[in-house]
Order: sequence, then structure tokens, then C-alpha cells
Amino acid sequence: MRGERGKQVLITAVVLFDLLFLALPTVIILLASFTSGSIVRFPPEGFSLRWYVELVSGGAFLDPFGRSLLVATLATLFAVPAGTLAALALARWRFRTAGLIRLWLLLPFTIPLVVAGLGMMALFGELRILGSLWPVGLACCIINLPFMLWAVSAAVNHLDPELENAAANLGAPPLHRFVTVTIPAVMPGIVTGGLLMFILAFNEFLVSLMLTDARTVTLPVQIYTSIRAVITPDLAAVSAVYVLVALLAVWLLDRLVGLDLFLRAR
Amino acid sequence: MRHLPTFATTAPGRLRVAEDGPARPAGRCRMEALITWLDWMEAWRSRLWPQRLAFLDGWMLLLPALLLVAVLVVGLVEIVDMSLRSLDRATFLLGEDWTLANYAAALSRRATWVIGWRTLWASLVTTVLTLALAFPYAYALVRTPNAAWRRFLLVSLFLPFFLGQVVRAYGWLIVLGRQGLVNSLLGLAGIEPWPLIYTPPAVVLGLVQYMLPFAVLMLAPAMTAIPEELELASASLGAGWVRTFTNVVLPLARPGLVAAGVVVFTLTFTEYAIPQIMGGGKFDFAAQAVYEAWFSTSDAGQGSALAVLVVLVSTGLTALMLALLGGRAAAGRVGRAAAADLSAAGMTAAGTGAAR
Repeated sequence: MRGERGKQVLITAVVLFDLLFLALPTVIILLASFTSGSIVRFPPEGFSLRWYVELVSGGAFLDPFGRSLLVATLATLFAVPAGTLAALALARWRFRTAGLIRLWLLLPFTIPLVVAGLGMMALFGELRILGSLWPVGLACCIINLPFMLWAVSAAVNHLDPELENAAANLGAPPLHRFVTVTIPAVMPGIVTGGLLMFILAFNEFLVSLMLTDARTVTLPVQIYTSIRAVITPDLAAVSAVYVLVALLAVWLLDRLVGLDLFLRAR
Repeated sequence: MRHLPTFATTAPGRLRVAEDGPARPAGRCRMEALITWLDWMEAWRSRLWPQRLAFLDGWMLLLPALLLVAVLVVGLVEIVDMSLRSLDRATFLLGEDWTLANYAAALSRRATWVIGWRTLWASLVTTVLTLALAFPYAYALVRTPNAAWRRFLLVSLFLPFFLGQVVRAYGWLIVLGRQGLVNSLLGLAGIEPWPLIYTPPAVVLGLVQYMLPFAVLMLAPAMTAIPEELELASASLGAGWVRTFTNVVLPLARPGLVAAGVVVFTLTFTEYAIPQIMGGGKFDFAAQAVYEAWFSTSDAGQGSALAVLVVLVSTGLTALMLALLGGRAAAGRVGRAAAADLSAAGMTAAGTGAAR
């Protein structure tokens, strides 16, 4: 093919640039977190784990870390049943208003996050539930709910409805069918969606910023409010924890459903 | 039970174990416990939810999700309501009567327009740069015959995808800061420190890096749908790769490009964290103006009016872009995302969501 080399060179060049561009903040966070100095400098002042030791031995980040874990767990617990049931209903039942229902369920993606956060802040304030953590989990569930629906919908669409019909033919009542046939069949979707919900809620910043106060601050908000003009390695060590969690999530996603899933033509 | 063949599938091997071991294999015991439990649940279900309500089954399954979104909608209604009441400076409470005063005030202030144009321009530049960087990546991802390389590309994409804005912006602060990586390297070369952070290019850089994984993940499925044979055919007919690209690949990838572009644009237009952290408060975006009005000036009415304006402008621009660029195919694609097929347009939806 004519000029095929030129194309290869161009694509490879852009891809290599992209790889560097994507990895740079992550790599630099990891590097900075291992410094032994008390500010981040280049070249680094030496290798140590002191900032990690400081992290686990108390300090300002331990409680927010626990809260973020709780918020992410709550958001996942809210979203998995609600999203799974809704996705199954949309796939298996005929609604005359199906278009409207889908539009409604996609609203969390079309309303800007800053507006969604303010609205829920106003509402939760009136209900006098601001200041607890579960409304933050609820909010994180709501703003990311379409993810859960998308993940399960994709799995339902690859499921043969004859499986459920066969179970029905053999006399399985509805709940038996649901628990022993439908749920196992869409499990990859539930796992993908649940994982995404957890990671997104664990990282959620803007809505947490609005819904938390000094006593309920979550980890991303705590990192944000700790950012100073001078770059300190303690923040790099907390951020490195996020990198670790992200790595774990990528590994899990690959193990459980396979990353190739996201390349499939739709 | 008897009516469920799936439960009878105890492997022969296991049965043999059962003969010389305990009376029943553990797996079988668990299955029976599950069946008993299910029968019990089934009995309760038919008592609480009689057959004549069966026509509501679908709605019952939808109900939790519908109610969750309703929380968001009620919040939005509150914002609209507050935007129509002006702040009483004497009592610091919002007024009783509806008025458009907040909108008039917002639109007559120069800062509103400055921030609006800045957000618009920055979003356009971010979108173009992101698509330019994402397209070759998605192409390589889909076309490479090397499985290990594809895997590496995927992992490199997903790792930052799973990191939030604050962490990534913090990474950029270390790279671009006054004593950061770049300035230290410049210092070694004897060059004075350069103010890199808290500049408009830094904000765009952070935004492009943030949006890149979404764009790639939205483009890749569209790219998968283009058969490689078409490119080969074009080449065998004598077209060079540039011509093949502009006449074959680009037109076929257009719906994916438009969808990715619309999502990246909309997300950038309403982004808060990255312009806040990497702009240092000097180059505020629309979302920051909304936040400032609420929390710094404590004028919920004014902040709400700005919030409603952001919703209106971003929705309007999305519709405009689809009308101008979309043609039918792309409009159909994003239109499906908005209204019709959740899973077909999944990545559109996924992109929009995850970018937060």
C-alpha cells in the first residue's frame, strides 16, 4: 500500500504522546509520594515510605478515607438493585411510555453536576438530612445511576429470552426464574455497573463538596481543601492510594468481564 | 425443586464423593436451602402481590430507579423556584413573589458574558484537541493485530479513567507547579522558572487529559463498526492512506466523532474541579460562577438563576451542534442516547456520566 509507512508513523507518534499524556499525572504522583523530603522537589530528595506511614498513623486523611469508602459502598448498594431491576423491566416489559421512561432515567447525565448538587443540597437541607453520610451516598447513586442501567441493559440484550421461557415451561415460578436464571445471566452487567458505581462514588468531588460539612468531609474534598501553593508529599501519598484503588478496579474489571467488552461495536 | 432441572445437575463425580463421604455434598445442601427459601419468598409474594396486580409488575421493577431520579428532579424544581425569587438584603431571605430580577441582573453583568464566552471557547478548543488526540488512539486500539499491545492500550486508558478530577489535577500541579517537574528541568538547563500553572493553557491541558479516555471509549465502538476490508478495498483501488482516511474512514466514523464531540463539549462546559484547581481562580468557568454566587455571595436566588442559565445554554448548544453537524445518523445516535435505546448509545451515556 502506498504511503502506509507515513500513516504508521503518524498514528504511532500520536499514540505514544497520548500514553505519556495519560500516564504523566499518575506516574508523577507515585514518584512524589516516595520522597523523604517534606516538600516535593525535582530531583527527589531520596526514597522513603514516611508519608505512607504518616497516612495510616492518623492524620487528616484517615477519617475521610473511611467516609469515602462508606459513601461508595452505600451508592453501590442503592444503585445495584434499583438499576438492575429497571434495566430488566425496560428489556422485558412493554411500556407505552418507554421513550419517556428512558428520557427520565437519563436525566442524571443531562443535568450539569453543579446544578444537580445544588438542587439536592437545597432539598436535603429542607428535609434536615444534611450532615449525615447516607444522603451523600444517595446523591452519588443518583447522579451515576444511568451507568448501572447501561451496564445491565447491555448484558440483558445479549441474553436469550428463551432461557427464561424454558425455565417457565419447566414449571419454575417467577421468583425462581428470576433468581436462578435471569440474575446469573446478567451478572457480568451487574458486576461492571457495580464496579463503576463504586469507583465513581469513591472519586466524587463536586456533589460531595456541597453535601458535606467539616464533620462529614469525604476524601476528594479533603484533598481539594488541603491543596496549597507549596506541593507537599502527604497529598501525593493519599493520591497514590487512589491510584492503587484504580489499579485494583481495572484488574477486577478485566478479570471479571474483560476490558475488550468496551470495544464491541454497538 | 423437581420442576427446576438446573438443580438436578449435580455432577456424577460429586455424587461419587457423596457415596463414601457425608450423605449429601455441601453444594446440594445449599441448593436445597435456596429452593426452600425461594418457595417461602414465592408464597409471600403471592400473598402480598396477588395475580390481579401482575399488570403492574414492570412498573414495580422500575419504581426504585424512577424515584431516585425524582429526587434529582425535585431538586431541580427547587433551583428554578429559587431563581425566580430575589434576595431581600435586609433579612437575607428570598422574597415571596416570583420575579425575573435575578435573570435580568445576571444578564446585565459583564462578568456573566465574559465567563460565558470563556467557557464556550475553552470547551470548543478542548473538544477539538481531545478528538484529534483520541481518534488515532481509538484507531490503533481497534486495528492493532497485537493482543498484548491492545491490552496495554486499554489498561493505560482505564487507569486514568478511574481517577477523579482532584487527583489528576493534583498530579498536574506537581508537573507544572512553580517548583514542579517541568520548571525544575528548565532550571537544570539554566532557564528561569516559567509560570505554567494557573494559566488558560494549563486549564485546557488538564481538561483534554481528563476527557481523553471518554472520547476514546466512545470512538472505539464506532471504529469497530467500520470493516477493515473497506480500507483495504480503497487502497487496492489506488487511494493513498490520506485519501482513504478522508473519503472512507472519516465519513464512516462521523457519527461516533459527533457523539464523542458533543459529550466532551457538554462535560467541559459544565466542569468545575479542573478549571478551579488548575486555573487558580483566575479563569473561572460557568460552574464556578454558579458556585461562587451561592457560597461566596450567599445569594441563592442569583446562584440559581445562573445555574438555570447554564442548563439552558448547555442544552441549547447540544441541540444546535447536533442540528448543524449531526445530519441524521449522528442525531439518531445521540438522540437514541437521550431518549430511546439505552444500551445502543451506552457509551454516549457512559461518557457523560463518568466524566464527572
